[in-house]
Amino acid sequence: MNTKALPILVLCVLSLFVVNLMFGAVSIPIAELLDGFQPDSANYFTLHEYRLPRAIIAMLVGAMMALAGTLVQGVIRNPLASPDVLGVSHGAGLAAVVYMTVFPDADIGWLPGIALLGGLSAALILWWLCGQHSSAIKLAITGVALGALYASCVDFLMLVKPLEINNALLWLTGSLWGRGWQQLTTLLPWLVLIPLAFWLAKPLNLIVLGDESAVSLGVNAHSLRLISLATAVGLTASCVAICGPIGFLGLVAPHLTRKLVGGRHQVLLPSTMLVGATLLLLADLAARTIDPPIELSAGIMTAIIGAPYFLWLLFRTK
Amino acid sequence: MLTMWLKRSFLLLGLIANTTMAVTVKDMKGDFTLEYVPQRIVALEYSFVDALAIVDISPIGIADDKDKTRILSAVRQRIAPWTSVGTRSQPSLEMIASLKPDLIIADIGRHAAVYSDLQKIAPTLMLKSRHDTYDGHLKAASLIGQVVGHDAQMQARLAQHKVTMAKISHQLPQGIEVQFGIALDDYMALHPGQSYVGTLLQSLGFKTPTIVAQESSSVHTGLEQLLANNPEYLIIGHYQQPDISTKWQQEPLWQLLQAVRNKHVYHIDNPSIWSRSRGVLAAEAIGQTLVSLLKP
Amino acid sequence: MKLPLPTYLAYSLMLVLLLVVTFLTSLFTWSSFPITFNDAVSTLIHFDEQSIAQHIIYDIRLPRALLAATVGACLAAAGVIMQGLTQNPLASPSVLGINAGAALGMATVSTISPWFGLLGTSMAAMIGGGIAWCLVMVLSSAWRVGDDNGRLVLAGVAISALCAALTKALVIMEEDQASAVLSWLAGSFANSSWQRWSMFWPIAMFGLIGCQLLTPRLNLLQLGDDNAQNLGVSLLWVKLGGSVLVLFLVGSSISVSGSIGFVGLLIPHMARLICGRDHRYFLPMAMLLGAILVVIADTLSRAIVFPLETPAGAILALIGAPFFIYLVKKRTV
Repeated sequence: MNTKALPILVLCVLSLFVVNLMFGAVSIPIAELLDGFQPDSANYFTLHEYRLPRAIIAMLVGAMMALAGTLVQGVIRNPLASPDVLGVSHGAGLAAVVYMTVFPDADIGWLPGIALLGGLSAALILWWLCGQHSSAIKLAITGVALGALYASCVDFLMLVKPLEINNALLWLTGSLWGRGWQQLTTLLPWLVLIPLAFWLAKPLNLIVLGDESAVSLGVNAHSLRLISLATAVGLTASCVAICGPIGFLGLVAPHLTRKLVGGRHQVLLPSTMLVGATLLLLADLAARTIDPPIELSAGIMTAIIGAPYFLWLLFRTK
Repeated sequence: MLTMWLKRSFLLLGLIANTTMAVTVKDMKGDFTLEYVPQRIVALEYSFVDALAIVDISPIGIADDKDKTRILSAVRQRIAPWTSVGTRSQPSLEMIASLKPDLIIADIGRHAAVYSDLQKIAPTLMLKSRHDTYDGHLKAASLIGQVVGHDAQMQARLAQHKVTMAKISHQLPQGIEVQFGIALDDYMALHPGQSYVGTLLQSLGFKTPTIVAQESSSVHTGLEQLLANNPEYLIIGHYQQPDISTKWQQEPLWQLLQAVRNKHVYHIDNPSIWSRSRGVLAAEAIGQTLVSLLKP
Repeated sequence: MKLPLPTYLAYSLMLVLLLVVTFLTSLFTWSSFPITFNDAVSTLIHFDEQSIAQHIIYDIRLPRALLAATVGACLAAAGVIMQGLTQNPLASPSVLGINAGAALGMATVSTISPWFGLLGTSMAAMIGGGIAWCLVMVLSSAWRVGDDNGRLVLAGVAISALCAALTKALVIMEEDQASAVLSWLAGSFANSSWQRWSMFWPIAMFGLIGCQLLTPRLNLLQLGDDNAQNLGVSLLWVKLGGSVLVLFLVGSSISVSGSIGFVGLLIPHMARLICGRDHRYFLPMAMLLGAILVVIADTLSRAIVFPLETPAGAILALIGAPFFIYLVKKRTV
C-alpha cells in the first residue's frame, strides 16, 4: 500500500483549483484573487459567478466520474471497462436530445433532470435485459450494444429535426461552459453516493480475487456487484446530467491511480477521486486557455488527453 | 448582493451616458427595459452586428468565431475595431464580463442556456437570429434601433433599405422561380422557402419551388429531388471547387433541369454572405449580386 | 441446427424473390414524378430515351437500388467475417470503431480546408476506417490465440469514443459544414450514380467472393483457436486475410453511402437463426438478407418525410432496434 501519493494529489488538486481561478480568457493575478470575491470588485462576476462554480463542478464531476470508473472496473474485473459500457451516458444523451428536438421551445433548465432520468432508465433497461444472475462481462457487452443503439437514435433525431443540432451537439460533447451555482446545487445531493462507495471498498478488494474466494470469505458477490454498479450508475448519471457525457475520464483515471497507489480499494477510491478531479480541472483549464476567447468542450479535451494514455496503456498490457 | 451590484453599475453607467431615457420593448423573454443609452454593446450573432452597423454604432465585442473576416466586409468597414468574445455557440462569458458591457444582444436559439449568466453581466436583449426570416431580421433591427437609442435613424435607414430593395427588385425579372443552394464536395443543400434567403428572394418578387416552400432549415437534396423541385433559376454557392455540382453536370438528368436547359444556372464563390451573415447590409449585398447575375 | 438442403434452397429462393420484389418497388415508389410500375419494367426491358420518368429510373433509381442492395450484402458479409474471426457476437463495423474512424476521416477532410482536393471525402473515410480497425485489432491483441473477447469490444468502444469526440469537435468548429458531415454520418444513397456503381462493384464482388472462399476456415475457427490450429488452419493468415476483406467491403461501402450501422451487427444473427452455424450456407443467406434490408430502408427513407428524404442509416437503426433487443433478451448475444 502506498499512501505517499495522497498528499501530493491533494496538493495537485488545490493548486490546479487556484490556477483555474486565475487563468482564462482574462488572467487575474493571484494577489487580486481574494479581492475578487467582494461583490463590488471588477472581477466579481468572472471569479465568483463564473470561475468558482465552474471549478468546483469540474472538481466534483471529475472525482465522481473517476469513482464510478473504479467501481465498474473493480466489479467487471476488466481494465478496459468504464461507466460508458453501461450505456448510461448514451441513454442520458438520448433523453436530452429527444427533449431538445421534440420541445425546442421548452425551458433548458429542465435538461439536467431529463438527462438524469434517461441515464437511470438506461441502467434499468440494462438490468431488465440481463436479468439478475448474468456475468459481469455479459452485462458490459449488452451495455455497449445498447449504447450503440441509443447513439444511432440520437443521430436519427438530429437529422430529422436539424433545427436544434447545434445545441444538442454542444451538450453531447460534454462541456462546462455556462455551468454555474444552479447546476452545482443540483449536483450536491448525489455526493451522498461517495461515502457509500467508500463503504464498498473492503468487499471490493475481495471480489478481485474471484467470485468463489469472495464468497468463501463471506462476501455476497452478487449483491455487492449490484450495489457497486448501481452506485456507479448514480454517479455517472448525475454527472452526465450536469455536463453532458465527458468521455475517457472514468476509463483513464482509475488506471492512472492504480499505477500510483496500487490496487487496494481503501486507498484507491479516494486517490482516484483526486486524480479525476485533477484531470477534469486540467481539461477545463486547457479548454478555456488554448485559444482564448474560444471555448472548447472539456469532453473533447479529456478525450484528447485521455485517449493517447489509454492507447499506450493497451499497448503495454499485452 | 447581486442586484445591489447591478443597481450600482446601472447608476454609474447612467452617469456616463448622461441621458435619461427609458425604453421598453418586447424580446423573446418578455418585456425588456433599458433606462439608459447603451455605450458598450456586445453582439453575439452576425446579424446583430449588421443592425448596429447601419446606425453607425460599433459594438465593443463580437462573437466572431475569432475570425474577423467572418463579418461581412460591408459591415466591417462601418464599425470600429472590436474584441472577439469567442464562438457564437459558446461565447466566453469571462471575456464578455471583462469588456464591461452595458448591453448584450444574444440569440435565443444559441444562448438560452446562459441567459441568466448574461443578465448578471449586463442587461441582455434576447432576439431570434438563426432560422429567422428576412422580415424577422428587419423587425429585430428595428428593435435594436429602439434599444440603442437610435430609433429615428434606424427607421430612416430601414425606409431607405426598402427603397433600395424596391429599386433592386425593379431591375430583376418578376414572378420567376429562384432557388439558392450551397454545394460541398458530396453534399448539396437548398435554402428553402421559410429561410432567410428564401424569404428575401420572395420579397424581391421571386417564387420558391413548392416542395421546399414550407421548410425553414436547409434541405439536403439529391439530383432526383432537385429535378422534382426543378426551379426556373438555380443559384449555387460553391464552398469549394470542384464539388458535387461538377459531378452532377456529367449526368444526363442534370441536362433535364429547366434551369440548365435555359442556361439559368448561376454560380457564387462566396456563399457565406448568403448563408451566414443575415441582415440589412447582407440583404443589399445579395440584391446587388442578384442584379449583376439576373438583370435582363 | 442444420437445415436439409431442399429447405435451404427453398428459403434462398424465397429471399431472392423478396429481393426482386423490394428492388422493383424501390424503382418506382415515392417519387415526386409520376412514375409507374410499367415505367420501371419497361426501363429494364426496353429503355425509352424520351421519357423523363424512365430517365429518372435509369439514371438515378437503378444505380441507387443496385448500390443499396450491394452495400447491404457487403456490410452483412463483413459482419459475418468479423464475428467469425473474432468469435464475438458483437463484432461489426459500427461496434469495432470502423464507422467512427471513417466519420473522423470524412469530417477532417471536409472541415479543414487546406486538404480540399488532395483527398476526396470517400477516400478519407476509407483511410480513417482502416486506421481505426487496425488500431482496434492491434490494441485488443485479437491476433493472439485464445484471447478473451470482451477486450475486443471494449477496445472498439474506446476507439469509437475517441473518434466521435474528435468528430464532434471538428463539426462544432466549422458549423457551415456541420449538416454535410452529419448527414453523411447517418448514411444515405441520395447521391448514387452509375459512375459510383462502376467504381464500387468490382471491389464489392472481389470482397464478397473472397468471403465465400473463407467460409470453410471460419467453420473451423468456431471450434476454438487451438483446435483450428491443430486442424491445420494458419490463424495468422486467416485473420489477416479476413481483415483485409473486411476493410475492402466496409471501406468501399462507406465510400458510396456514408456510415451505415447495424446491418453488420444484426444480419449475421438473423441468418444464423434461419439456417444454423455453417458459414458456407449462412453467408449467402446473410448477403441476401442484408441486401433486402438496406433496399427496404432506402425505400422507406424516401417515404417517411416525403417528398424530402431521411437518411437510410437512421432508418436502419430504428428497424434494427427492436430486433436487437429481442436478440439480447433471447441471450443469443
